[in-house]
Amino acid sequence: MAFRKIDIDALEEDAFRQEELDFQEIGEVPPQQEVEAQVNNRAQEVRILLQRGDAAGALSTSLQNPPYGSGLETAKARNTQTVMEVLTYALKSADQLVKNLSSEEQDVLMKYLYAGMAAPEQNNSGVLLTWHEKLTEVAGQGCIVRVITDRRTV
Amino acid sequence: MSTDQPVIIEFNLGPISCHAFNHDRTELAVSFNTNVVSIFRKSGSGWTLAWTLEEHDKPVTSVDWAPKSNRIVTCSQDRNAYVWTLDQASQQWKPTLVLLRINRAATFTRWSPEEDKFAVASGSRCISVCYFEEDNDWWVGKHIKKPIRSTVLSLDWHPNNVLLAAGCADMKARVFSAFIKGVDKKPAPSPWGEKLPFNTVCGEFSSGTGGWIHGVAFSPSGDSLAFTGHDSSITVVSPATGSVQTIRAPYLPYVSVLWLNENQIVAAGHDCAPHLFENKGQQWAFSVSLDSAVKKADVGFTARDTFRRMDSRAQSTTSSDTEIHSHHQNTINSIRFYAGSRENLEQYTTSGVDGKLIIWNTSNIANILSNLRI
Repeated sequence: MAFRKIDIDALEEDAFRQEELDFQEIGEVPPQQEVEAQVNNRAQEVRILLQRGDAAGALSTSLQNPPYGSGLETAKARNTQTVMEVLTYALKSADQLVKNLSSEEQDVLMKYLYAGMAAPEQNNSGVLLTWHEKLTEVAGQGCIVRVITDRRTV
Repeated sequence: MSTDQPVIIEFNLGPISCHAFNHDRTELAVSFNTNVVSIFRKSGSGWTLAWTLEEHDKPVTSVDWAPKSNRIVTCSQDRNAYVWTLDQASQQWKPTLVLLRINRAATFTRWSPEEDKFAVASGSRCISVCYFEEDNDWWVGKHIKKPIRSTVLSLDWHPNNVLLAAGCADMKARVFSAFIKGVDKKPAPSPWGEKLPFNTVCGEFSSGTGGWIHGVAFSPSGDSLAFTGHDSSITVVSPATGSVQTIRAPYLPYVSVLWLNENQIVAAGHDCAPHLFENKGQQWAFSVSLDSAVKKADVGFTARDTFRRMDSRAQSTTSSDTEIHSHHQNTINSIRFYAGSRENLEQYTTSGVDGKLIIWNTSNIANILSNLRI
């Protein structure tokens, strides 16, 4: 069965490659500095909202326009951190908050939950699992499936 | 009431990869995930094996039965397609090889509404639009190639016999012109375009959240297109109004879609039950699961059941029950027209990995919806 391991696409001139797929799904990625500035501004904004006690506003602001694309690891990590702060802060009202999110925001939140769980040493998995449970109750398995299929990873 | 209940045909011969009925629904072609297509004939309440079509040497991926001309087309992972005709003298099905010119598996095939063409989707990133060439006395294929970037997984013909929708593993659903000179008459202008030479791309759509496009379907009028992807979403596109609506479903992905009428779509897939989507005031939304077996199972949870369960299985809850509360017990991979008209479908069939084929009625949908409101 050795032939099964042959990468037949390597011999294909016109193969559908990763970069092309990413471009199709994400489009042009803005310059790194720009994205980082945007992410930092958002972190500030979210912090102010949290100080005011506006958990709903902080949550939906933190989920807006997430950084997508390759080469944005710093911005992605920073934004994940912002979302995690909100999630820890608003844990008690999680079930109400997830209900008020739009379906698009629910999908983005699910992406961040999985991104957070991928780094258990930095984030509190207990918090994330509680959010995951509440979100799955509302958005269903479809929401999880979309995290897997979406090429726009966070 | 009993006529509303779905009719279950169980073969127990393995997963059903594809199925097709003949014009009067007395014969049924099924492939059980093998290289053979079995044709069953209705006898009383059951089905008996009448013929087997053995010509492919790899699993058959798709079968379609032309109602008017009584021809069957099959395609397979062996990169071939055959057109089968019933020889009147010997009463045997005779295959004709089709020149597809593809170097990967064929994945899906459908006859055009006029039955003078059929299209075969394949893993070689193209669609073969096949038509009969009188001079050479065989079926030849013409390729739709651009801009397909990956395996084509599903197809659907527009009622005008020219436009063809394709769902593709490159996360896009596209509408092409499959106009063949000498076969087709010039089509009337539609929202999809006016001048339609072969391989015109009339539209390219995506749900936005990725996922292979598993199923595509034109609405009865052909003016809208619905497609479903592995991201558990359904997207409805109407080029006349420019509207593109994506419904993010909370369930497992759908594999196949079918329009019941201009305002209702049925989708089925990994959730093992057909789900209804409805258009209310220009807004598409998920409506209800059409498999009422769910409710039956819930109602049956009485004290007596609990004791019986404790007695027979030493279980007090249903939590470790392996049966799912739907008629299909595994992924539904095909959902097809059965009875009614294109504008107002009355019955449809589903077949799936659990080896069951189910005939569903649409007559009880109003009932299900009104129960839901109470």
